[in-house]
Amino acid sequence: MEAKVVSFTVNGRGHVVALAPNLTLLRALRDLGYTDIKNGCEKGDCGACAVLLDGKAVNSCLVLAWQAEGAQIVTDAGLGTMDVPHPIQEAFADSGAVQCGYCTPGMIISAKALLDRNLDPTDEEICEAMAGNLCRCTGYTQVVEAVHMAAQKMQEASDDTRR
Amino acid sequence: MTHAVKPLPPVELPPLRQIGKPLRRVDAMGKAVGQTVFAGDYTMPNMLHGKVFRSSEPSARIKRLDATKARELPGVVCILTAADLPDAKLTTDMPGQTGQKRRAGTDAPVLASDRVRYVGEPIALVAAETLDIAERALELIDIEYEMLAGVFDPLEAMRPGAPVVHEPDNIVAHWKIRKGDIEAGFARADRIVQNTFRSQFVDHAYLEPESGVAWVDDQSVINIRVSTQVVEHFRSIARAVGVPHNRIRVRGTMAGGRFGGKEDITVEIYLALLAKHTGRPVRLVYTREESIQAHSKRHPVIITHRTGVKEDGRITAAEIEAVADAGAYPYLSTYVALYIAVQGCGPYRVDNVSVDSKAVATNNPFTSAMRGFGAPQACLVYEQHMDEIAKALGMDPFELRRANYIRTGESISTGQVIESAAWLEETATRALAALGEKTPDRGPVKVGQGFASYLKSYGRIMWFHDTSHAWVGVEQDGTVVVRCGVPDLGGGNVNSLCQIAAEVLGVPLQEVTVHSTDSAVTPLAGTTTATRQLYMSGNAVFQAATAVRDVLLDRACKYFEEPPEALDLSESKVFVKNDPSQSLPLSDLVKMCASEGLQLSNLALFAAPFTDPLDPESGQGRIFPDFTFGAHAAEVAVDTETGEITLLKSVACHDVGRAINPASVVGQIVGGSAMGIGQALMEDIRVERGIIRAPSLSEYLIPTSKDLPMTKTIILESGTGLGPFGAKGIGEPALTPAAPAVANAVADAIGARIYDLPLTPEKVLAAVDRVDGES
Amino acid sequence: MLPEFDLLMPRTLAEALQWLSEDGPNITPLAGGTDLIPDMRAGSHRPRVMMDISRLDELRGIRVEDGYLVVGAAVTIAELLDDLLVHQHASVLRQAAAVMANPLVRNRATVGGNLVNASPAADTATPLLALAGEVELVSQQGSRQMALEGFFTSPGGTVRRPDELLSSVRCPLPPSSAKGVYRKLALRKAGAVSVVSVAAVLSHDGGGQCDGARIALGAVAPTPIRAHAAEAALCGQSLTSDSIAVAARLAAEATCCIDDVRASAAYRSRVTEVLTRRALDQAANG
Repeated sequence: MEAKVVSFTVNGRGHVVALAPNLTLLRALRDLGYTDIKNGCEKGDCGACAVLLDGKAVNSCLVLAWQAEGAQIVTDAGLGTMDVPHPIQEAFADSGAVQCGYCTPGMIISAKALLDRNLDPTDEEICEAMAGNLCRCTGYTQVVEAVHMAAQKMQEASDDTRR
Repeated sequence: MTHAVKPLPPVELPPLRQIGKPLRRVDAMGKAVGQTVFAGDYTMPNMLHGKVFRSSEPSARIKRLDATKARELPGVVCILTAADLPDAKLTTDMPGQTGQKRRAGTDAPVLASDRVRYVGEPIALVAAETLDIAERALELIDIEYEMLAGVFDPLEAMRPGAPVVHEPDNIVAHWKIRKGDIEAGFARADRIVQNTFRSQFVDHAYLEPESGVAWVDDQSVINIRVSTQVVEHFRSIARAVGVPHNRIRVRGTMAGGRFGGKEDITVEIYLALLAKHTGRPVRLVYTREESIQAHSKRHPVIITHRTGVKEDGRITAAEIEAVADAGAYPYLSTYVALYIAVQGCGPYRVDNVSVDSKAVATNNPFTSAMRGFGAPQACLVYEQHMDEIAKALGMDPFELRRANYIRTGESISTGQVIESAAWLEETATRALAALGEKTPDRGPVKVGQGFASYLKSYGRIMWFHDTSHAWVGVEQDGTVVVRCGVPDLGGGNVNSLCQIAAEVLGVPLQEVTVHSTDSAVTPLAGTTTATRQLYMSGNAVFQAATAVRDVLLDRACKYFEEPPEALDLSESKVFVKNDPSQSLPLSDLVKMCASEGLQLSNLALFAAPFTDPLDPESGQGRIFPDFTFGAHAAEVAVDTETGEITLLKSVACHDVGRAINPASVVGQIVGGSAMGIGQALMEDIRVERGIIRAPSLSEYLIPTSKDLPMTKTIILESGTGLGPFGAKGIGEPALTPAAPAVANAVADAIGARIYDLPLTPEKVLAAVDRVDGES
Repeated sequence: MLPEFDLLMPRTLAEALQWLSEDGPNITPLAGGTDLIPDMRAGSHRPRVMMDISRLDELRGIRVEDGYLVVGAAVTIAELLDDLLVHQHASVLRQAAAVMANPLVRNRATVGGNLVNASPAADTATPLLALAGEVELVSQQGSRQMALEGFFTSPGGTVRRPDELLSSVRCPLPPSSAKGVYRKLALRKAGAVSVVSVAAVLSHDGGGQCDGARIALGAVAPTPIRAHAAEAALCGQSLTSDSIAVAARLAAEATCCIDDVRASAAYRSRVTEVLTRRALDQAANG
């Protein structure tokens, strides 16, 4: 079992690292300091480790790090910051969708994947899109409200740029 | 059935500037952008990785334990067994407060030495250079067991001749309540209704598995960063590790959910031991599977209610027998059994009561605190039983309850008088009204509605002599600092403290910074359990902030030459109320005070009222500071051909006294509701002969976004709570009535009762068959 | 942590087959990893060598070819959901994809992986059986097509030889009258293994006579199965509630022996009848 040099980009920052073949992307990214990706089950049940892998929302615990060779990876922390949050992050903070916060980064990744395709989702479409992200605190109602709020903000922003 | 919504009595709540607003929580944005650092995210230079070696047997003697091969594995730095920790016990009771009722000799050892009592019991600790090596070391530990008979059912465990988990017998707690004359009460009854209900093992299933990092600093203090509900465990850890109390520092972190599962000691004691023995930083993070195996569960219960009623619905007598499975070690089971006893009659006036509530040891996984602490199990039973009584009497379930709802000034079964508002009719009628008309049946899909009322204590048992400390200070630029030991489990505790300080000191919320949950540097605030933090620490912060406000206003009086009542603080200014043009920035006032040597901070202690313990024979006495009241209602669609249940509507209405942050209150209510619904519909740890059959989140199913409808929340504010600004507690109350509301809706849909949870499709279909068989 | 293994990263199918021909019995092909990685973590699968095939172009793509809908083995479940050809020709497969696992898993899980993993409850297996699916197995010796029905041998077992890869699955384009319905019962509305799943595809001659019926059942036997007796009872019959009820009962009789923590065998049999009846009703009338 030999390590191999793997390169990928995380939140716009390039990495070239030697990694063992049995390392999951979740563990590789956390070891690199991307601790906003949370380990909740390591078997794809909870979604706390979700990242965008070449634009698709996936559980990073179910990807081997080698499989991410050449990939563009985006984590929640790559979407915005405390000072300049992404509209989804802002909506989660403002609508009570954040309680303990452990599922939040994964939730926001799933919301981003949804809103990238559909800026006017129904309640049902939101619940379907978030179905891989378990939350034990909120009961999801405020999460659904947050995604609606974010959709509206993003729509307004895209209307503004079109004008 | 429609019921007129009961009008609310007039309530005058003082207008407030920061309280009662759904402000963005101070902790929200850090979590939303992934900035918040959780316990398992910390890393230290030269850090080792810990693992725990656990029992594979539910009941056995350890004949031989040999870690030689594991110790020889390159990279293994330390292996500890019971031999290295003479007589170290896990005591998760609060020292000096609650020790009196637990039976001696039942504390769990930190590491098992000669005997294991449940699958997953810790036997050895490993620290290694890498996680991988630590995991491999576990496989190299040799152990040989001599199997012993086990007992896995609490009823069997009470029988003579059953295998004994702890000498002299398995009944580790027995609480009695005797009020009035039970025989006379039954004699007066027109009818007696009896039912027995069972509930399952439930897991907290917080998203963050137990985790922490520990290191020894240059004063020989063992520092432990850990996700916990109780930083005060530093004392128990010190005792077990064999160091003075002031050599353990627990630095709590923001938690990825706890719900009672991190109320008992988890990884922190192993971390302290490994850090002390290796002298190096150590990290220990449970996998999901280990988390499920290692932490407590909600007590499964078997509860029988025998109730005498008049034809008009009035209850004349209630006899309750409750048995809770304590698992292999009692932990907090004693008190859970007490909660079940005291809250067993529900929010109903019953003059003649007999309650026996027992906690019984078995070789099952241990059970302890989980959100509600026995009260939800009690509610699950009394509220389903009320519907069955209504059915027996041919009465509307709401009318039956209305005939018995307890009112302010009346007493519960222990004789404690309810002093705050008891808005039972007010909450139930609003929940039912919001539920609306029943959705029509569609072929085999039958629709049912149900509701449940409850009472639930907030604050700890009064003879525990509960206290909380908080420190509030103003900086020279007019910003505010709160220091308070509160661990925030995600419910927004620390934000509420900030909103309270902001209100009292007249600054915007974003001007307040809070430092919390550090046993060495933040004033100790007690546990984040028992729905006590807003009540206890909220009052402590209120007191401290008020003391600082008094200093500020006192100085401002001289400046404006006005009496204190003529002045107010708002938007970081002090001003004359009837002439706001006369104002001074808070920062100027603070500098003025500082230059004169006035104290601009205050350390406050809030002490809950103390009482003596309940009378051991009659269970009479005052036990809780106060109670929260409310109701949940649910509408379900049941497919009577497959047994599948779909929750169509969910409504919750609670009197929270005063909502400090309404968005947080909604969050508590909807989240609590979801957890109760999960217990009703799907959650089951499934323990068979001591072995957990739902070892991960693939088998232990909790509700997803597709399982729950958008929950409607109705917040009432009576202003009568004991917390700051008249607030009551809502964390545990939010969950308490959720499961029985759903169970009652299912029974309404299919016309039959299912007496054990969860309501799986298969059980529903069997119940449908029973009805079909009868008709 | 995952156990130690070597990981091969072939760039072409030919390279992958070369490795399999040399050391097949020791190599476990890995695509989406949504079953394999948890199995390895749990220690129930300890391969010496893994081979990542998720990026092989030869295993990707969905196309219509020679009267067949062909789905590459490395096509993800999410791709099935978005694909117009699947929507048009294999609605029953799309319905199953829509309720499989959850969106995060669907972005990784592949059709080939779902079939080779050979769970009795595999969500794509029943619709593909009902569509008369065939799998293509390729090796350095060449390729073979076989009916999916003969592919599964036991829970987790298939006829794939160690030197072979599942490269694609194909189903004949169904007649325009064909209608497929997928029904699944699980203990939760998302991310849960089927307790029972039923896929039914019916076609009729225009006069109300059934001229083709295929019914497949999941999670009720050691492998996903066809309910042949039920199918036979429908063919040539008019699709009435009576004929459908008879077929549904026969489907229930085809179930056997899965009695586990999720449900008893008796319950599964009974619900199979209900779901089959409903699926057939909807296919016939919906």
